[in-house]
Amino acid sequence: MTRRAPTLIAVLGLVAALAAGLVVATSPRQPATAQDAAAVTVQRAHAGSATPTLKRRVVLLTIGSDSGAPKFGRSGAMESGRADALQLVIIDTSKRKGAVVSFPRDSYVPIPGHGTNKINAAMAFGGPPLLVATFEQLTGLTIDYYALTSFDGLTDIVNKVGKVQVNVDMNLRDHFAGAFLDKGRRNLTGGQALAYARARKTLPGGDFDRSRHQGQLLLGGLTTYQRQVAEDPAKVLTWLGIMRDEVKTDLPFPELLRLALLATDVPASGIKNIPVPSVAGSAGGASVVRLLPGAYSLFGRLRAGSLG
Amino acid sequence: MIVAARNNSKLSMAGLAGVLAGVLLAAGCTSGGGSGTDGQAPGSSAAPAAPAQPLKVELVTTAKVPPGGPSPKRAAKQAEPGLERFLDRYLTVAFVNAAGGEAGWDGLIGLFDKPVRASARKQLDALSLGAAASKVSAIRPSRASARAVVLYGEQRPQAATVRLAFDGTADTAKGTGQVHLRSVLQLLATGDSWRIAAFDSRTGPPK
Repeated sequence: MTRRAPTLIAVLGLVAALAAGLVVATSPRQPATAQDAAAVTVQRAHAGSATPTLKRRVVLLTIGSDSGAPKFGRSGAMESGRADALQLVIIDTSKRKGAVVSFPRDSYVPIPGHGTNKINAAMAFGGPPLLVATFEQLTGLTIDYYALTSFDGLTDIVNKVGKVQVNVDMNLRDHFAGAFLDKGRRNLTGGQALAYARARKTLPGGDFDRSRHQGQLLLGGLTTYQRQVAEDPAKVLTWLGIMRDEVKTDLPFPELLRLALLATDVPASGIKNIPVPSVAGSAGGASVVRLLPGAYSLFGRLRAGSLG
Repeated sequence: MIVAARNNSKLSMAGLAGVLAGVLLAAGCTSGGGSGTDGQAPGSSAAPAAPAQPLKVELVTTAKVPPGGPSPKRAAKQAEPGLERFLDRYLTVAFVNAAGGEAGWDGLIGLFDKPVRASARKQLDALSLGAAASKVSAIRPSRASARAVVLYGEQRPQAATVRLAFDGTADTAKGTGQVHLRSVLQLLATGDSWRIAAFDSRTGPPK
């Protein structure tokens, strides 16, 4: 036994060495470099995102001018034309909600320094600043910024972004505006969008319906923008570039970018489209639109911080 | 003969076994890291660190220009150095210099536009080394790449959308581990630099 013990130990040692060698040889490949040697978890998965948090509420006046559109035979400068599409866009930045309040262009209202007239004349009298002052006097709201475009601008914007999706709310056969659309969700070209924004004469609600349609176009633009940015975040810059080329505004660029980024985070379903309560009337033989008491109640609620 | 034979057999068996063991062990060692660049023990916290690569952001830039502006290529070239500096600064304060946790996060938060700073401060873990910083002694960058689209106007870059990717190795007392960042940063140009105006970011193991 004692003579054989060293041999046994040697054999056992050999087996152990072989086993160790086999274990090492058959182990999964070990890391080759320090970088591969991920022995510990340093970071767990975290995800986060944020868009700008601005002051509580932003009020923007969007204006569609009837001038400055050579493609439609409309000469002159945009800012000295009549304002034929008028929306107050109010965004509650903390709640990520808003309202688009649409005003009939023929709304008969006081214009500072110019008596009472159709609201669309204010811009022709004194450019965007007088139009803003008219709105501030009428509504009691502080207008932070304006954004002005033309027929050419609207059609170019829509064509450049690649159509906007709009929920057309009625069948339209308006030869005057060239609007021929069926009710339903439609992807509108620039020409169709402009026609939808202009159609009035054949609509049952006339100017009231037209104002609502203009609000729908804005919301359709927002939905289209959000969908495109969700697919490609750099689309924010595409839209900003198009707006820069087609829209005149007093928004400084940093604020414009912040609003554009914020807009990615405001669901269109959280924005009300509110045509100002009004009724057709006349003044001095001209057809006008008179705001109803409900309009002033609406302005009061907006001043109080409500979104209509 | 028998003894001799036994002895020979023992010798040859021991020799064969030794050779086999040596080969197998050698194979094991080779498999376990013998071909590694530094030959260190895998997973060992005491292992010497791989040579650290300096942080260098590989940046590809394109630009959107207004009618009558410079060519997109020229505008991108103009924006590139400043963007590269900014992204380098971001990764430095968010990861490389964040190791140890003593530096704090004010340097990082200062890279954000004011309307988004509060949100950024609440989401440091998604933007940087975050809470892991205190247990990390060093970060060794291995990859930093970015693709940027720049909006050019008024004769200068105005805004940019950047897809940023960063991978690195973190040294801790317990060993080494990987750190990762994948972000989309919306940038606002501010004079000679940039600020992050919005972000969508994640850190940690890739999905």
